Amino acid sequence: MIASAHSPGLSSTALIDPRALMSIRNLELRARVVVEGFWKGLHRSPYHGFSVEFTEYRQYTPGDDPRYLDWRVYARSDRYFIKKFEDETNLRCHLLVDQSRSMGYGSTGYTKSQYAATLAATLAYFLHLQGDAVGLLTFDEQVREYLPARHRMGHLRQLMHALEKPAGGRATNLTTPIERITGLVRKRGLVAYVSDFLAPIEQLEPSLLALTACGHEVTVFQVLDPAELTLNLEKAAMFEDVESERTIYIDPVLARKEYVPRIEAHCAAVRAMCEKLGISYHRLATDQPLDLALFEFVQGRMRRGRLSRPAARSHA
Amino acid sequence: MSFLAPLFMLGALAIAAPVIYHLIRRTTRERTVFSSLMFLLPTAPRLTHRSRLEHILLLLLRCLALGLLALGFARPFLRKTAPSAAAAGQSQRIVVLVDVSASMRRAGLWADARERVAAVLRKVTPGDQVAVFTFGRQVSPVVSFEEWRNALPDERPALVATRLAATVPGWEGTHLGNALIRAAEALSDADAELKLAPGPRRIVLVSDLQAGSAFDSLQAYDWPKGLEIQVEPLKARNPTNAGLQLVADSPDADAQAVPAVRVRVSNAADSTREQFRVGWALAEGTEFSGPAVDAYVPPGQSRVMAVPVPANTAGLQRIVLRGDDEDFDNTVYVMPPEKQQLNVAYFGGDAADDTHQPLFFLERALPNNPHLSVKVNVHTPAAALSPVEERDTKLFFVTEALSPGVAAQLREQVLAGKTVVFTPKAAAAAPTLAQLLAINDLGLENVQPANYAMLAEIDFQHPLFAPFADPRYSDFTKIHVWNYRRVKAAAIPGARVLAKFDSGDPALLEIPVGKGRVLALMAGWNPEDSQLAVSSKFVPLLYSMLELGGGLSAQSTQISVGDPIAIAAGTDPVAAVAVGLPDGTTATLPAGAPAFAQTQQPGIYQLNLGSRTLRVAVNLDAAESRTAPLPADQLERYGAPGPQPVVDTAREARREALMQGAEAESRQKLWRWFIAATMAVLLFESALAGWTARRQAGSVTTGGITP
Repeated sequence: MIASAHSPGLSSTALIDPRALMSIRNLELRARVVVEGFWKGLHRSPYHGFSVEFTEYRQYTPGDDPRYLDWRVYARSDRYFIKKFEDETNLRCHLLVDQSRSMGYGSTGYTKSQYAATLAATLAYFLHLQGDAVGLLTFDEQVREYLPARHRMGHLRQLMHALEKPAGGRATNLTTPIERITGLVRKRGLVAYVSDFLAPIEQLEPSLLALTACGHEVTVFQVLDPAELTLNLEKAAMFEDVESERTIYIDPVLARKEYVPRIEAHCAAVRAMCEKLGISYHRLATDQPLDLALFEFVQGRMRRGRLSRPAARSHA
Repeated sequence: MSFLAPLFMLGALAIAAPVIYHLIRRTTRERTVFSSLMFLLPTAPRLTHRSRLEHILLLLLRCLALGLLALGFARPFLRKTAPSAAAAGQSQRIVVLVDVSASMRRAGLWADARERVAAVLRKVTPGDQVAVFTFGRQVSPVVSFEEWRNALPDERPALVATRLAATVPGWEGTHLGNALIRAAEALSDADAELKLAPGPRRIVLVSDLQAGSAFDSLQAYDWPKGLEIQVEPLKARNPTNAGLQLVADSPDADAQAVPAVRVRVSNAADSTREQFRVGWALAEGTEFSGPAVDAYVPPGQSRVMAVPVPANTAGLQRIVLRGDDEDFDNTVYVMPPEKQQLNVAYFGGDAADDTHQPLFFLERALPNNPHLSVKVNVHTPAAALSPVEERDTKLFFVTEALSPGVAAQLREQVLAGKTVVFTPKAAAAAPTLAQLLAINDLGLENVQPANYAMLAEIDFQHPLFAPFADPRYSDFTKIHVWNYRRVKAAAIPGARVLAKFDSGDPALLEIPVGKGRVLALMAGWNPEDSQLAVSSKFVPLLYSMLELGGGLSAQSTQISVGDPIAIAAGTDPVAAVAVGLPDGTTATLPAGAPAFAQTQQPGIYQLNLGSRTLRVAVNLDAAESRTAPLPADQLERYGAPGPQPVVDTAREARREALMQGAEAESRQKLWRWFIAATMAVLLFESALAGWTARRQAGSVTTGGITP
């Protein structure tokens, strides 16, 4: 179950072979395997709640909640101060998981959909362990299921259950879930968007822009099958589009030359869009270990946390 | 092995299809589900390298199936070596029939016909047997098979050409049916006479094939097998042809204010003219004598018109038509019929206006019309015949007992060849009959049947009843007889019973006496005896009696070319008769000949019969004027082995070989085996392909949706 290292950053760390991981049938167990083998996540909430860990005082200004006045400081100094604490539990993470037909493709023995579900479950489990609220939104050409972000007993199981539902949709609509989550979630939080992005992305940028403008921190995971990246299929055959059911004759040997640059260009376009919008982008081939993805996620968040912290503080 | 349809072997080229199919990478069979075709472009199928030819056995089976199918469709057969007649150079029997009817007198047709015959003879091989006949109403040989055979091969066409040059079209009608039958018979006879092996037989018909040709005799003709008719149609240069024919006088001809002769002007269907003039003329090419009649006749139609007889008719015997391109049928010769006078003597004491007596009905029933007038001379039973009456009277009616002197006079007349119709009103007339027949005892008694008697057992073979032989007219049961005289036929030597009553008694007897005869009618036609006088049989029966004994001759003065001029019975000349022909020459009819048959040209024929001169107008056959060409398939409609195009011998041989091949192929039916073999190969191929596909399906794994 232990695979060799894939990333330079994790050269000394033993990673879990995704093929072995996927052989575990239970999704929650898969998530637990990944998370438990991983260092405890480190991230900070962009919110400053009123929790155990005190951070600083701030002078009271009219309009602040009087519940948070530090009466002792008032007694001592006769001035009103508000106590501020690290808000550790208020991270609201929403997982947007693509369950369209195209996600049902897989040449490695398991599908992209299974891989994406495991990824989402891993993230959910990881965040749940940290006490964060996790929500889920699955979609294909429309939104299929929505679980609001919560942190309570049984919610994780419910979430796993929703992830395990088979993909039933046909087409992919990349913008609808973003628009929906923008409308539903008013409070800023983390949005993890898991999809293969094998659809036109022209309409995607305005939606993502709206989402980031609402203050959400967005992370994009583009899950692709290795065969989709290299077209390393042997036999010429009638290729059928799983979504449109269009059929054309493809000889992979001949088509590869044209195909690889085109899909690379598409991925580059997605990446460029993300970078433009300040969105962290991760491309995952389904033969890559999942803990690597988790590591990149956490690493990205830490980097982002360091970068965003001053802004968050000034904001608070 | 030979093939009936070798072109189907080209179908074997389809073997290339499975080879190419096997070279092409199979595309349609395998399907791969892929997530998105967004970035994929369709690629063209490509041929695999020759070394990658897959499923050799399947390929061979498919090629074999296609090859077998092509072989089957090519209809193979095993040729038996049976040389065809044409291939063996077998000699043909050919009869060339050349039309010499009157319609061939049209401009240029005869020259064309001779040229056409020469062309036919040029294609004849020296081994062929040829006879050339001309035909119109009769068929005449020009060159017989025997003459052809005896002539040197090089001289044969010249012989035919010389003989034909001496021939000109006559004036006869076209009896094409008879001519064809005669030619077919000549061909059959030639096989037997010349002792030739059976070979192809052909009739070459050189004719203008005019619509007026007579075909009727072909309807019941059973054509010999292996005969073929080749038609060489001749085309007239001038399509317009109008014809002129006499029309029989209408019954009320006498009532016409102005005496006129009715003629029919008919115009051929393909004519280009419609306006003609008709009138009397003295000779060909002269002007009309008297007023002419304008005739407007559209093509294909005919008009009947009356041509007024001019006041001075001396020498006027012809009516001519002007305005036509072809003048062979533009003249009709008119000979007004001679009125025949017959005398009949009646012996009886009847008053002429007594409606209960036989004389009343006899005078009214005997004809008196423009052609025939019968005069009844009434005598009392005791009045003897005058010498003039003895000479002129040929038929005597006796209804009562005659004085012995008159009876003896009558017996002399009968012995001289005349006829007595004896129809006694009562049995008391028995001695007269006995005297006429020179019999002593003739038991004659009056009979009155309980109800009525009818005529039965009529001898329709006898000339007296022959006109009634048709079943439509043979019903005599409506004639009821209330009184008749019984006579014992056995008592009269030589008597022939022509009719009997239903009681078995004779009703009509014919007793020959000397050269003449006595007809004994045992019931009179007077109303007391029977209904005969008021029945429809009475007048025809009297006509039969007049014809039988009274010298009535069906002498016609208007006949067609080729019809014999009959000389009336009773006027048989003892010596030869000089016949004046229309062209001014004279022919001789031998003594005792019943008719003059050589009426080969139209015009007026004069027969000098001693006591009188018989003048008969001979005209063209009316059908000869219908010169429009026949439909091409007319001969075939009459069952003639259709006109077949002339083919060269090599082509004929090929055709013959093809026919034999088709026959052999239909007998052997080898194609069935090839089709069966194809089916077997295809079954094996299907099984093998199915097994191969299953095996591949089991081993091939491709990417796809995992549910």
